[in-house]
Amino acid sequence: MKHSELENILKNYHREAFLWSRQCCGFEDELAKDVLQQSYLKILEGKAKLRYPEKVKLWLFSIIRFTAIDELRKNGKWLPIDDSFDLVEEENEEVEMDYQKLLMRLSPMQREVLLMVFYHQMTIAEAAEILQIGLGTARTHYERGKKKLKELIETSQTEAENGK
Amino acid sequence: MENEDDLIKGFFKDLIRQDESLSIPEFPETKVKSFPWWIPTGIAASFILGAFLLFQRPEVPEAPADVIIISLQENENHEQEILIEEKAYIDIWESSTSSLLTEF
Repeated sequence: MKHSELENILKNYHREAFLWSRQCCGFEDELAKDVLQQSYLKILEGKAKLRYPEKVKLWLFSIIRFTAIDELRKNGKWLPIDDSFDLVEEENEEVEMDYQKLLMRLSPMQREVLLMVFYHQMTIAEAAEILQIGLGTARTHYERGKKKLKELIETSQTEAENGK
Repeated sequence: MENEDDLIKGFFKDLIRQDESLSIPEFPETKVKSFPWWIPTGIAASFILGAFLLFQRPEVPEAPADVIIISLQENENHEQEILIEEKAYIDIWESSTSSLLTEF
């Protein structure tokens, strides 16, 4: 594929790519920009090749995700994938629902599957392809993620009602 | 289950709405580093030049067709005379100092 064609594809997906990069980087804008720039370079320099043009979005999301993981590892921010993942509840939580904070309390896999399905309108199978895991495993992350997020939302709503 | 899905969908709908106010950075100017072709070209040229100089045979000067032999001889009147001969090759060669071995 020609350089200009690739650049056009990237321009078309730029907004979504940035949002995904931000989500993969724990909602850090500056890191997300760096990751996106590196991902684009990988593509335009031919280090990452598009084999199936019909799966361009999955391919782009996959590159961004792996680049983000590399960057997070370099910065010592990458958390191992673990279903029993749970962050210690912070003392001074904001009363207003903080979407990003709630999402960050899910395990990376659960968060990514839910974001891909509910935010980026992908199927669980497509999410599994990006995460390079089996469909069954992706479904498990999806179900557990939904359950956990529901609990977090309800807790957050209760706290907001009680004016904590 | 449906309730759970609605709650989650609503959550993400709100998140999407919130993200609409996010400022998306401009598409970055990506300057692709083109492969520096002059490096392998230079190396190849150096190899060719080196090989050319290494395997070039030095020119050997051709021997002259004729050899001029100048000798000093004594004639019948016991006088020294210079004899100049021109030959295609030297069939007899006498050292100019051989007389020292025989006469002394």
